[in-house]
Amino acid sequence: MTEETIKAPAKFDFKDTETLLRYLDSQGKLYSAKRTGLSSRQQRQLKRAVKYARTLALLPYAG
Amino acid sequence: MNNNQYIYQAMFLLDNGEVREQGFNAMREWVKSTLEKHGATVKVLRLWGERPLAYPIGGRARATYLLGWIEGTEKTVSKAKHEMYLLGPVFRNMFLKEEEIPADELELGIEVMKDEDVKALDDTPIVESLFEEEEEEAEYKPAPEGEETKAAPEGEAKKAEGDASAETSSTEAEAAKPVEAAAATTKTEEA
Repeated sequence: MTEETIKAPAKFDFKDTETLLRYLDSQGKLYSAKRTGLSSRQQRQLKRAVKYARTLALLPYAG
Repeated sequence: MNNNQYIYQAMFLLDNGEVREQGFNAMREWVKSTLEKHGATVKVLRLWGERPLAYPIGGRARATYLLGWIEGTEKTVSKAKHEMYLLGPVFRNMFLKEEEIPADELELGIEVMKDEDVKALDDTPIVESLFEEEEEEAEYKPAPEGEETKAAPEGEAKKAEGDASAETSSTEAEAAKPVEAAAATTKTEEA
């Protein structure tokens, strides 16, 4: 991969919006695992954290 | 629904207007008493922050976030959620099952704060601007759109008819030209 992958934290926390925002595009959509370079388990953790953050209005819904 | 005890991480979104009116400590006490009333043990309940919402919820643009760590059964959480949905200043909440309470959170415990230290900002201007936009849209909606939509196809149809007639007339004229030319040649031959 030519693009630099972001160093993932040990655990994704829904309160850490700064970290989560690095995995979202300008529309608020989550990058694919191919682009984030995360393992499938980490990608699932990230997905859940983003969903929790969206529920609490910490992050916007895509659109 | 089982009666096993679980540790939950909970987040509550408090209405800024009520926090301003009644004070942060009163709001936190209400949340704490609601949880304890249904049998949950509140280990930690503290202010997480006052911040703008990523999207408006019920006309609100900002909220005061309250973070809690509690111990209780699924039933107690469900009942507390239901009560918070119907009553009180909490307009959104979330409970997540966790394995343990972090040590740094336990140290904080039930944080005592002065009401003056919690600045719940007024978010009414953004709500007003939202209503203004709606009014503008409502004013814009009536008659002109309908007329335009109706008028447009008619105009187009007329144009299309006009184009078609122009095409036919030009073709007729083109067809007539050779006939006239042929008649002229016959006349000259006769002469």
